[in-house]
Amino acid sequence: MSEAFIRCEKLTKVYRKGDQEIVPIRDLDLEIARGAFVSLMGPSGSGKTTLLNLLAGIDSPTRGALHIGSNDLARLSRGALAAWRSREVGIVFQSYNLVPVLTAFENVELPLLLQPLSRAERARRAMEALDTVGLGDRASHFPSQLSGGQEQRVAIARAIVARPPLLLADEPTGDLDRESADLVLALLASLHRDRGTTIVMVTHDPEAAARADTLLHLDKGRLAARESRGAEAAR
Amino acid sequence: MSGFTGNLARTAALSLRMLVRTRVRATLSVLGIAVATFLLCAERAVQDGVREATEASARDTRLIVYRANRFCPFTSRIPERYADEIAAMPGVASAVPMQIVVSNCRASLDVVVFRGVRAEDAERTLAPRLRFIDGSMSDFLARGDGALVGSALAERRRLKVGDRFGSAGVTVTVAGIVEADGPQDRNACFVPLPFLQSSMGGVQGGIVTQVEVEIAEPGTLERIAAEIDARFAGDAAPTSTRSEKSFAARAAEDLVAIAGFARLLGAGALAAIFALVANALILSLEGRSRDLAVLQAVGFGGRAIAWTIIVEAAALAAVGAAIGAGCAQLALAFGDLSLGAEGILVEFRPSIASAIGATLAAALVGLCAGSVPAIIAARRSVAEGMRAA
Repeated sequence: MSEAFIRCEKLTKVYRKGDQEIVPIRDLDLEIARGAFVSLMGPSGSGKTTLLNLLAGIDSPTRGALHIGSNDLARLSRGALAAWRSREVGIVFQSYNLVPVLTAFENVELPLLLQPLSRAERARRAMEALDTVGLGDRASHFPSQLSGGQEQRVAIARAIVARPPLLLADEPTGDLDRESADLVLALLASLHRDRGTTIVMVTHDPEAAARADTLLHLDKGRLAARESRGAEAAR
Repeated sequence: MSGFTGNLARTAALSLRMLVRTRVRATLSVLGIAVATFLLCAERAVQDGVREATEASARDTRLIVYRANRFCPFTSRIPERYADEIAAMPGVASAVPMQIVVSNCRASLDVVVFRGVRAEDAERTLAPRLRFIDGSMSDFLARGDGALVGSALAERRRLKVGDRFGSAGVTVTVAGIVEADGPQDRNACFVPLPFLQSSMGGVQGGIVTQVEVEIAEPGTLERIAAEIDARFAGDAAPTSTRSEKSFAARAAEDLVAIAGFARLLGAGALAAIFALVANALILSLEGRSRDLAVLQAVGFGGRAIAWTIIVEAAALAAVGAAIGAGCAQLALAFGDLSLGAEGILVEFRPSIASAIGATLAAALVGLCAGSVPAIIAARRSVAEGMRAA
């Protein structure tokens, strides 16, 4: 059995919207093995994106425990969470979220600015990441000069440039046509296969979900079902 | 470079790069700050000019003897002979009777002040304090209508030696352009006393507007002023004697009041800089909440985010302030601006110290204005930023 890399115990997130209390994640128990490729599926409002935000440390749990690697995220300060994110997590958003005034190269370089690397080393790693996603020749292009698929590949390059062990993707193919979506999914699959990166991907797309070796179905903030394909990576 | 300072430098470079690439916003903000700094520099020039013209110092050695209870050159009339009597008093180095004729007695930006002096006083008393840029004292003395024109007035009126010009019914020929240390001399037009007295028509010879007294020892101004007034107290034309600076302050009360108002303008300019920078950054934060959230998502902490905003504020304020101060220096240098009232002139001249002071003040205010948006941005959570986008 693989080592648990992500462990949620009674994980709960509560929002307050006016007088209304919203609980997108409720008493969730979950373990994900190191090196797993997991798809999170479920209807809108099932808590997929909230769970992803909690795993990324950009939102904090209301109750319960959330361990990733050796870190208890619930106990880390905002500053420590930011530092942890810069080293340990890459995030891919549905809407790419590239900074429009920066070139593809500069967007990819962003996470490296927080690391004690020389300019040459940053440039080497950023170009390597762009080459990995097949966009080395688009380094000087601004996001407005790229197609949606290219933007998403730049976003993936940015997510992997610091070589994080965990990659979180929120509907990475949601805004893409089939051809671009296949390219992005192939890229994620190769990162999982070649680098052993743990990937958690939120998706509505069954074809995208099929690329993962584990499918988790969320419903009303709880784990409703799980399917494992091949190695049992999630329990 | 240590990790911390390296992070600061890299983050600052990122902030500047992003700022430069939002040209319209950055340019408009910089222009607004430049205009406000220009006003601030102009206000400081007014303060400096008024201070130079009116603030007495322990080194002052010049007294102005005026007709008591008269405050305008048109109404002050004292006998010319007073000058000789004053010159003979102990502690007095020289006493020069002067007829003053001004083109405009009220506050005006272009006042010509004619100062009628006797030939012997021009050689003995004026010559040591004036430096000839062009022409000579002998040229001046050789002509009955000759004029020694102060450098500031010559610049303002574009005058050169040989030119004839007229004002207030007096027409003279420029015999020399002179530089001087004080604003009154730099803006004066010295002419022969008899010529000016005759030009005034109704004014008889032997009557002058004032006597300029140089004393031998600084620090004895008040005592000698009191002695002069006491000497003529029983005369038909009693006098009121003050140091040149306090005389200027009294005569130019309007200008001092304008300078006081200018202080408000200066404070307003600083407030405008604060508002411009804060407004630019807050609007920018609203427009860039997603970008900032992305930076946080890739690992930028609250301090790094705040630092990017502070750097942006400092850059906007520093560049705007430098441009505004530079333009103000040029305008003051080439504008030859002076404001006159009652024959007293206040010059508005460029000053490196004032420009640096105004630039630093503007930059500091801009920096302070950036701190509030910086704190707001640093405290905003990533999820909140993403939702706001």
